[in-house]
Amino acid sequence: MNPLFIGTAERRLFGLYEPAASTRGKQRAAVLCYPWGMEYIYAHRSMRQLSSRLSAAGFHTLRFDYFGTGDSSGEMDQANLVGSCSDVESAIETLKDIAGTSRVTLIGLRVGANIALNVASRPESEVEALVLWDPIVSGEQYVETLRDDSDVSETVLHEIRSIDLPSSLEAIPERSMILVTERLPSHEQLGRPVEFVPTACPWVEEITMSGALPVSAMQRIEEWLR
Amino acid sequence: MVALEIAYKEQAVLLGRHSLVGIVTRPPPARQKDEPVVVILNTGIVHRVGHHRMYVSLSRELAKSGRTVVRFDFAGIGDSKPRNDSTSPLMASLSDIREVLDTLEKSHGICKVILVGLCSGADHAVLYAHTDPRVVGLVLMDPTLPPTFRYYFHYVLQRLKNIRNWISVATGRSGLMRLASTHLLNRVRPKAEVEGLNLQNLRFSSYLPQCYRGAAARGVRMLAVFTSVSVRHTYEQQMLDAFPEASAGGKLRLEFFPESDHLFSGSKERDRLRDVISDWLDSR
Repeated sequence: MNPLFIGTAERRLFGLYEPAASTRGKQRAAVLCYPWGMEYIYAHRSMRQLSSRLSAAGFHTLRFDYFGTGDSSGEMDQANLVGSCSDVESAIETLKDIAGTSRVTLIGLRVGANIALNVASRPESEVEALVLWDPIVSGEQYVETLRDDSDVSETVLHEIRSIDLPSSLEAIPERSMILVTERLPSHEQLGRPVEFVPTACPWVEEITMSGALPVSAMQRIEEWLR
Repeated sequence: MVALEIAYKEQAVLLGRHSLVGIVTRPPPARQKDEPVVVILNTGIVHRVGHHRMYVSLSRELAKSGRTVVRFDFAGIGDSKPRNDSTSPLMASLSDIREVLDTLEKSHGICKVILVGLCSGADHAVLYAHTDPRVVGLVLMDPTLPPTFRYYFHYVLQRLKNIRNWISVATGRSGLMRLASTHLLNRVRPKAEVEGLNLQNLRFSSYLPQCYRGAAARGVRMLAVFTSVSVRHTYEQQMLDAFPEASAGGKLRLEFFPESDHLFSGSKERDRLRDVISDWLDSR
């Protein structure tokens, strides 16, 4: 476990790099993209576990806090979706340098999945594989679930409301998986296979102050990436 | 050309032999005060960032005013690896605090600290403080308090207002009855020692008042902050009644946040909390 700051002087991002436990064969690398807000707090434990599992499975992994979130620089009201996408690009470049790989896998949970999809869909993207774990299907519906005191600015709320997964999937990379632990009627309209793993949601407070550890979902991600 | 002033610097660190993950937030050298370092402990199993990023904001604000602040994760929490030994969770956390302070002393020459914690973090702070002379202050947010006679009185008064509680008493399912019987049993049983202690039985343990007494006897200053939601706290003076020695000599300051929930979810409440802590740190 190597804590480090990445990014630029203006956008210092806190990250945790875990080297691949086994370096036999092709070097592989994965950037993990966190959710936002309280979902980030509750799911942190699961993302750490997933990172360790992938590291043991031979992946160099990097997870990091977006600008204005977690231990990264910036204030909460400076965090936004556009900036978070540029932070993912920054994390990809850092991990490629550290791991010595030319391509990386992106794994995003909740809003982190939508951010990862945005980055992976860009024409210049060097994303090898993409895992969308319980992505936000409708930004409008997601905003309704946010608490009144969630410190999200109006500008960001506007950005979130514009999330529309079905239309974003048009440019999804070929090697992608959509994994959900919570089946929603809207998943039927995605026009792509959605893998349902019936297990607890890691981003919802399950035990005091933390989400559950959805082991079967993590196992499935690891299996799919191998 | 006007130079851009850097308000604080943050460094990611691995602390102690268990490589606990932490962040050290420092003021620029010109602003560095010769004051104790503030060390922030985890709340439950939430990582060092805290709910609503409260510990990040607090660290940076305190650093802007000249203080060095360290926030870290206990082993097995947040980004720190779990231990491989059979040490109980409570003992492991107390040992982690010592490891962190040892590292800070060896690598940075820091020999005076103020521990800050919310809920279980507050309990860890007070359980540790009396064992280490490097701890000179405590900021305790919603710490565990034992039930006093007046606590029961207020508790009963509140509960009497609800008919469902009358039904619970009549059917033997009352929380009060369970609480009172636990209290009585703990009085009859041999006193809990630190080895058998955990955060669940702490409320009734005679070891807790000993810790407060020990810290107060060493002159440790304390700021105790209470929100409205603590079920273990029913009236403002409960801490003074529970730990009269802690308040002797003007070393204890009490602050109340009646509008706040346990996690300081409101930004106004977090701002006020930061101001209260800064003011207390600057006071003598």
